[in-house]
Amino acid sequence: MTAKKTGQKTGQKTGEPAAPEPWTWQVTREQIAAYAEASGDRNPIHLDDAFAQSVGLPGVIAHGMLGMAQLANFVVAWAGDHRRLRLLRCRFSGMVRPGDVITFSGRVSSEVPGLLDLEVSAQNQRGEKVLSRARALISA
Amino acid sequence: MSVAGRRYAPVEMELDGEHVRAFAQAIGADPAAGVPPTYAAVYALFATAGQLFGDAEAAVDFTHLLHSEQEFTWESHPEVGDVVTSTGVVEEDSERRGLRFITFATEVSRSGRALGRSTMIDVIRQ
Repeated sequence: MTAKKTGQKTGQKTGEPAAPEPWTWQVTREQIAAYAEASGDRNPIHLDDAFAQSVGLPGVIAHGMLGMAQLANFVVAWAGDHRRLRLLRCRFSGMVRPGDVITFSGRVSSEVPGLLDLEVSAQNQRGEKVLSRARALISA
Repeated sequence: MSVAGRRYAPVEMELDGEHVRAFAQAIGADPAAGVPPTYAAVYALFATAGQLFGDAEAAVDFTHLLHSEQEFTWESHPEVGDVVTSTGVVEEDSERRGLRFITFATEVSRSGRALGRSTMIDVIRQ
């Protein structure tokens, strides 16, 4: 699941930085389980439906940090090299569940010399925000 | 009790190539591109958060904990094989409207130089 590297860093004529193209993340149970293994966060709310339901959830949910990793993938696909990333931030504002399709889109909110400020929106297939205040700072 | 201001012992970790690649694969990043930015969840956040969650005096009720916000900043990015040192600090631990708010920062250094920082905000239902 890799993002397309289609975004351009700067506009041709206006000098305005181009925004990254929207990108979608298909959430699967398999990826959540793989993330639990790879990250070491094996909290059963991510792996066991019966357990998740016992604590009031509708079923297993994705790790917030897996969603943030997708935010990073989206930003890095546009920036080209993750080493340019200076800051990544988000608030986990909605549950992400297997079967969800999350759409990331972004806009450059300001460009101080040497630093791009990218605001990102992440919504599920019902138009609900799953991340809010998502932001990345990218150095030139 | 509030453990605001508490600082935990530094944790050292070598960034293992195989583990980094497995992580990159799991998140859908390019395993050949080096250490994914959010691998900071492993070398910064999870490396130190266990000290807070295991702290009997802090008594964090993990079953009612919600990871509310997360921020990472980087002065520079680590590479596979680097040894990084992470130190967890409780920046805020307070109660408002029946909720406990904890801000847990992790300062990361490499060879004695600041590399980056993780800031986690947790909300715990009382």
